[in-house]
Amino acid sequence: MQPQIAAPAIEFRDVSYRVGTTQVLAGLNLRVARGETLVLLGRSGSGKTTTLKLVNRLVLPTAGEILVNGASNERTDVIRLRRGIGYVIQEVGLFPHFTVARNIGLVPKIEGWCADRTLSRVEELLQLVGLPAEIASRYPHQLSGGQRQRVGVARALAANPEILLMDEPFGALDPLTRDDLQREFLLLQQRLNKTVVFVTHDLREALRLGSRIALMEAGKLVTVLSPQEFVKSTDPWAAAYVRAFGDGVESAANRGAS
Amino acid sequence: MNRRGPSLIVLLAVGLVSCSPSHPDRIVVGSKNFTESFILGELIAQQIEAHTSLKVERRFYLAGTYISQQAILAGRIDIYPEYTGTALTAILKEGAHGDSAAVHQRVKSEYERRFGLTLGPALGFNDTFAMEIRGEDARRLNVRTLTQAAQFSPLWRAGFGYEFMERPDGYRGLVATYGLHFAEQPRIMDLGLLARALKNRQIDFAGGNATDGLIPALDLVVLQDDRHYFPPYEAVPVIREQTVREHPEIARVLGDLANEISDEEMQRMNYAVDGQHRDTQDVVREFLRAKKLAP
Amino acid sequence: MNVLQFIVQNRAQFFDLTGEHLWLVGWSTLLAMVVGIPLGILIAHRPRLSNPVLGSANIVQAIPGLALFGFLLPVPWLGARSDRMAILALTLYALLPIIRNTYTGIRGVDPAALEAGRGMGLTDLQLLFQVELPLAVSVILSGVRIAIVISVGLATIAAAIGAGGLGEFIFRGLAMVDNRVILAGAIPAAILALLADFGVGWLERRLRPR
Repeated sequence: MQPQIAAPAIEFRDVSYRVGTTQVLAGLNLRVARGETLVLLGRSGSGKTTTLKLVNRLVLPTAGEILVNGASNERTDVIRLRRGIGYVIQEVGLFPHFTVARNIGLVPKIEGWCADRTLSRVEELLQLVGLPAEIASRYPHQLSGGQRQRVGVARALAANPEILLMDEPFGALDPLTRDDLQREFLLLQQRLNKTVVFVTHDLREALRLGSRIALMEAGKLVTVLSPQEFVKSTDPWAAAYVRAFGDGVESAANRGAS
Repeated sequence: MNRRGPSLIVLLAVGLVSCSPSHPDRIVVGSKNFTESFILGELIAQQIEAHTSLKVERRFYLAGTYISQQAILAGRIDIYPEYTGTALTAILKEGAHGDSAAVHQRVKSEYERRFGLTLGPALGFNDTFAMEIRGEDARRLNVRTLTQAAQFSPLWRAGFGYEFMERPDGYRGLVATYGLHFAEQPRIMDLGLLARALKNRQIDFAGGNATDGLIPALDLVVLQDDRHYFPPYEAVPVIREQTVREHPEIARVLGDLANEISDEEMQRMNYAVDGQHRDTQDVVREFLRAKKLAP
Repeated sequence: MNVLQFIVQNRAQFFDLTGEHLWLVGWSTLLAMVVGIPLGILIAHRPRLSNPVLGSANIVQAIPGLALFGFLLPVPWLGARSDRMAILALTLYALLPIIRNTYTGIRGVDPAALEAGRGMGLTDLQLLFQVELPLAVSVILSGVRIAIVISVGLATIAAAIGAGGLGEFIFRGLAMVDNRVILAGAIPAAILALLADFGVGWLERRLRPR
């Protein structure tokens, strides 16, 4: 199921997470290879968002450990950990009182980059995410949903982190914009080769974007497959997913990344 | 934009906070809220104006001993006229003990030690509490002293000022010392109204002041404090030590006023303002000229 | 107008009293901000504390002003000087609006922005000063505005215990049964309150996040 990966970027070892009487995650073992896009697929309550948040310690496990770049993420200073990991969420969470430029440039600024370096990085990133340069001086409330999420991605990439965590980033967008952003994500990944953990409940998105899909159900990891393997899989949960999403799924698998 | 807001507020707060009560270029003379106090305050004010180059501001009508004390402690006023007995019992909260000179000395040394305030020399009269009854009653019952009056107290309705009721050297001690038993709870009223209320038979026994101008005018008799319950109440100026340091000429002006006002003279000035409704400033000016204290 | 004439004739004292009034309001508002804003931030981050803290501030509000002065009288150091008591009493009254508005303002910050910020590696302090406070400042200011307006009114009573201020004119006018004097204290106090209301309100609007 999981090929031996040399020096994984992220590793979950027997990770469990419990809240009160609810076992949100149980016995999770997962490796994420450097440069791959691992999609966490599952329905609501499957534990996929919690899994994501365990990486940058927004959530702490009740058992087991998470290793980032080989080191337990509990031993690393949490601020340094998070500054080295990009984080993109569905609501985007841009700072409404900052311009686009200040939003994107926040982490560089607090990392002590000088103003010029930050400025050129902001310009570079805007280009990278397909936004016009003059948008830099606008405020979030003046942007469309799609533009906002592009800024969110740019912000996450600002300090050039190796790892990117994305929690259903395109879920709140209309289908056309979603399609645009998915396409651009693929192009970006080709260029940048980041290690991405991508959460979604949309099989089509998973098949299109992921190099591997980790299917989760009720806090357990069901299976980890490549997109092509997934659509042909006989695993009951995977098959159920494929059925639920109907036609066109196969082509989505083939349009995708690896 | 993010920085400007908070710094503006801090600036505003600092600005407000620096409106402190000091006033280096003027002398503020205070007084309490009854006629005699205005007259004394006005007297001090006019003397300072006449004999120094200082500008004087008047802050009269301070509502009582406590408020006057607070005002001078805070530096809102520099001088105000007080009475040694009041200072001793109401402010220093010590027991009353007879001799004028001892009381004056005690008050002066304690004020200097505890409050940074000092006393000028006594102005000359003793405005002790005066327990008054109507002249006709005094003559009819042949009553001259408080001890004699005690036996008639159950027949009388009494009236006192608010402070007298509350002060340790006031009502409670008086009643205890002389065994007074008034028919009902005493009426509490403004000092200025006591004399008339007594005259008009609304009350039969009034706790006024010895230098009330209306005492002779309304044929009222002051009962003698034969058991010496009340401490002496010499009128003295209370002044901030800092003010004296900064303006030593004031000490000289106050020295000139020492012992210049007798009981009768104070009574006459009180009557001029209370009974004849003359202007306080005029009355004081006249007095100073007559005494050759004013230029 | 008679009141105006009276003020002009006694302008030195009028300025003194106004200055004293502002001094009382200034100090108490400053202290209330220094204590209240951090408290508001604390309970916004630890909602379990919000009930006891807001509840206590509410109880203080329920105590009538003059009574509060009376409670403070026997306290050493504080009770010795009426301006200290007045400032403490005014500060206590100003706390509730400031704490409550700080709490509301900070709770009102978009949780998604906070999550994104935390995920990006902002420290708690950085989140507070770069995100939460700037976004909450308008609401906090609104609490400060309410506090100032309350203080200006309450400070008029402070004169009753000898703390000075425009209330001195009011009480004197009452004792003298002279309307001019009463108004010479009451009208400027009301004007001060209105000025504070407009002034801080203007600032609030300028700082409101888009």
